[in-house]
Amino acid sequence: MTRRVLGRVEKAHFIGRACELERIVNHPHKPGAAGLLVLVAPTAGVSELLRQAYDELFLQQGKVIPIYFALPSPARTAVSSAIEFLNNFLIQYLAFRRNEGGLVHTSFTLNELLSLAPPADFEWFEEVVAGYKRERFSNDDAAFVQWCLSIPHRVPNGNGRPFVMIDAVSPHDESDFYRQLIGSFSKRASSYLIAGLRRQLLRASSDLGAVEILRLQQLPITEAAALADSLALRHNVPLSEEVRDLLVQQFQASPFLLDGFIYAAREARVPLTSYLSCQRLYVDQLLGGSLNTYFARSLEAAAPEPDVRRELIRLLHDGRKNGQAVPVETFKSVAGAQNVESLLRRLHAQELVNWSGSAVQFSGGGQPWEDYLKGRYRLEILFESRARVVADLISTSLKRAPRTMARYYRRLSSMGVQTALSAFDEQRVPTVLFDYGRYSNVYKGLPIEQIAAAIDADSELLRLPQVVHVASCTAFDSAAVEVFDEERCGVAHAFTEGKYSDETQVVWLAAEIDSKLEAELALTRSWCDWLNSVARGAGFKSIQIWLIAREGFSTEAMDYLLRIGAYGSSAQQFELLTARLRETAAATQATQAMDEFEMVVPMGGDNELIVAHTVEEIARRLNFKPEAINQIKHAVVEAFINASEHSLSPERRIYQRFRLESDKLVITIASRGIVPPQIDAPHGQDGLARENDALGLRRGLGLGLIRTLMDEVEFERVDDGTSLRMTKYLRN
Amino acid sequence: MTDPTGCIVKSRCVGTAAVVYASDYLNKVSGERIERECKRQLDSGCQALVIDFHGTEIVNSIGISILLDIIDVAEKSGAQLVFSDVNHQTIQLFDVLGLTRHVALASDEHEALSLLAQSSAA
Repeated sequence: MTRRVLGRVEKAHFIGRACELERIVNHPHKPGAAGLLVLVAPTAGVSELLRQAYDELFLQQGKVIPIYFALPSPARTAVSSAIEFLNNFLIQYLAFRRNEGGLVHTSFTLNELLSLAPPADFEWFEEVVAGYKRERFSNDDAAFVQWCLSIPHRVPNGNGRPFVMIDAVSPHDESDFYRQLIGSFSKRASSYLIAGLRRQLLRASSDLGAVEILRLQQLPITEAAALADSLALRHNVPLSEEVRDLLVQQFQASPFLLDGFIYAAREARVPLTSYLSCQRLYVDQLLGGSLNTYFARSLEAAAPEPDVRRELIRLLHDGRKNGQAVPVETFKSVAGAQNVESLLRRLHAQELVNWSGSAVQFSGGGQPWEDYLKGRYRLEILFESRARVVADLISTSLKRAPRTMARYYRRLSSMGVQTALSAFDEQRVPTVLFDYGRYSNVYKGLPIEQIAAAIDADSELLRLPQVVHVASCTAFDSAAVEVFDEERCGVAHAFTEGKYSDETQVVWLAAEIDSKLEAELALTRSWCDWLNSVARGAGFKSIQIWLIAREGFSTEAMDYLLRIGAYGSSAQQFELLTARLRETAAATQATQAMDEFEMVVPMGGDNELIVAHTVEEIARRLNFKPEAINQIKHAVVEAFINASEHSLSPERRIYQRFRLESDKLVITIASRGIVPPQIDAPHGQDGLARENDALGLRRGLGLGLIRTLMDEVEFERVDDGTSLRMTKYLRN
Repeated sequence: MTDPTGCIVKSRCVGTAAVVYASDYLNKVSGERIERECKRQLDSGCQALVIDFHGTEIVNSIGISILLDIIDVAEKSGAQLVFSDVNHQTIQLFDVLGLTRHVALASDEHEALSLLAQSSAA
């Protein structure tokens, strides 16, 4: 068993957060490490993580001296908080130096601490005691607070480096001490950590200068389940797997809420072995237990006056029910112009509302917050009887439980449409993966390995767009939640042809359809209608619909999709696509460093010949035939000239990259500057083949010529200028 | 023959035909020199032109564009035009761009002049 100092649970019982713990413990060891901000999602829990980090550093007994300090309530004066900080610091410092963990749980006067100081620390401790007496009675409170906060910097070099971890998760942005603490740390270079609510701490971070950020979200589902099991075991509470999974979903994998709830089950001696016992306790906790305390404190902090709080409950309840954002003025009428900012800031920091300056949205807080508001609204606004409210809340939560779990199971079985959209990244994939009709005709019934091999050889490719943002359909249309499972649909804002312009902007709307057999026309049509309605509501101009049905689509449904220009894939096609997207991304990374040549050449002076001769040498290594080598050289010369003529590049340089792959040579020619107009011209080679075109064309032959000479030609997306990628395949 | 920029474009007259020699890299600068020399030869009474590509490795698209201009000029002057000793890769390029529909090709300068002689005799 490992020694515990500040940790409230054994290290073995501390579930999850392994990476975060490692990062915190390693932070003060990094050369030049200064601040680490831990941005915590509400109820994600951070205190035990910091305590575990403290224990690890303490037990290392190295150069880093851990100090943990939980910020006192904002109601305390700055002077009182500063004294507490000083006292905590000195006790924890001494405990570390003496390697006596038990000392951190005791309290001492300064003189007692002095008597405990090891000889190497006695002198500076003595100075601290003298300094304290001097500063404490100097009648300058601000100077005294600053003096207390400077204590980490008074530790002599050679006696160790303090690493102060401030646990400031409760809302503290109004407290003087919090502001002074931020101010004090921003001026000093020593390593420290501040953990706080992410929305609140981000506001303060601008005052702290260069800091590192660690984001602490809720636990992954599996870790949350393991935590619930561990808590139940520790508190001796019977917990069935079904109830555990429901709790994890209901509390959105929040360690804080799970901990509080299972502790409450222990206190109430309630076995968590059925949905009924669980939801009874849940409602009990909402109306009077730990959940009630948590939400009530948040409301009291935001609106200390009971009358204001009551109106706030009405407003929050109605707002959630309507699902519409309201202007800030609505809150002003409740809290008064003077208090509205403070009220909204606190609710926003707790993520119970989203406040964007002029409007307030009511999403956030999860199911427990919604149930809590409902309960208080009915009890305190409608004055309904407690028995009725309790009965309704229990019944509602019991009816909701199977739906909650069904939603979770559907999420688990989700194919990952949003992840797939995010991975598009302008990759070229076989078109057949988006056309179930053709796929079914050609491949249905073949072994998957055979299909994969045939698809690899398929030369009809679709260049996917570059996706810049992916979200669920429900993020664009709150009513869509009735139709779409959040994880099983995606809206991807994207650009085609490697350019950011109105013409190339397209929004992909993708959804997974539930259908045991091939999806029929009516079902397919209704999904297209829903997606079109999301697009219309959000004002998307150019859209691409993509439906994925496990078993694909009936002939009529596929005909319909083709007619409206939509894509349809089966689960098998989707899997082949995602495997390909992953492989291509990995292959690109793996091959980037190998067999790649780069050269930068100034424009002008016939320097294209230097590049042409270089590429000739490279192409020989791949055993290209002389004719192909000549075509490559010509293409390179044309690309170079194009870049020189059209880019207006102020630096007058052209960047060449030649990548050798087993079966092809990929050449990229890039320059900064403006994008030449012919890039906007329609692609294809037909312009060159037409009768009399040669005499008709005078300038602008270059790009067409390149397309003739090379196998693949495309413009890559770059922020400035152009980057032309040309590929030539080896042919025997 | 020296052009006003001081750079030499080799050419010679054979009867009423002129042979103009292209450089190793036919680009904008060298192409314009050839164009100027061709026009000069036509202005001075030449009735046929041979552009010899014996030493030409690469012709870029601007060079091709200038060759198209020369084809235009020759057509307007009623002069015949032959390209000689064009390497295989450049012939492919000319084919792709349709130049070979408007100009005759000869394997070398001698064959080009013979072609012109036969044509004028006919």
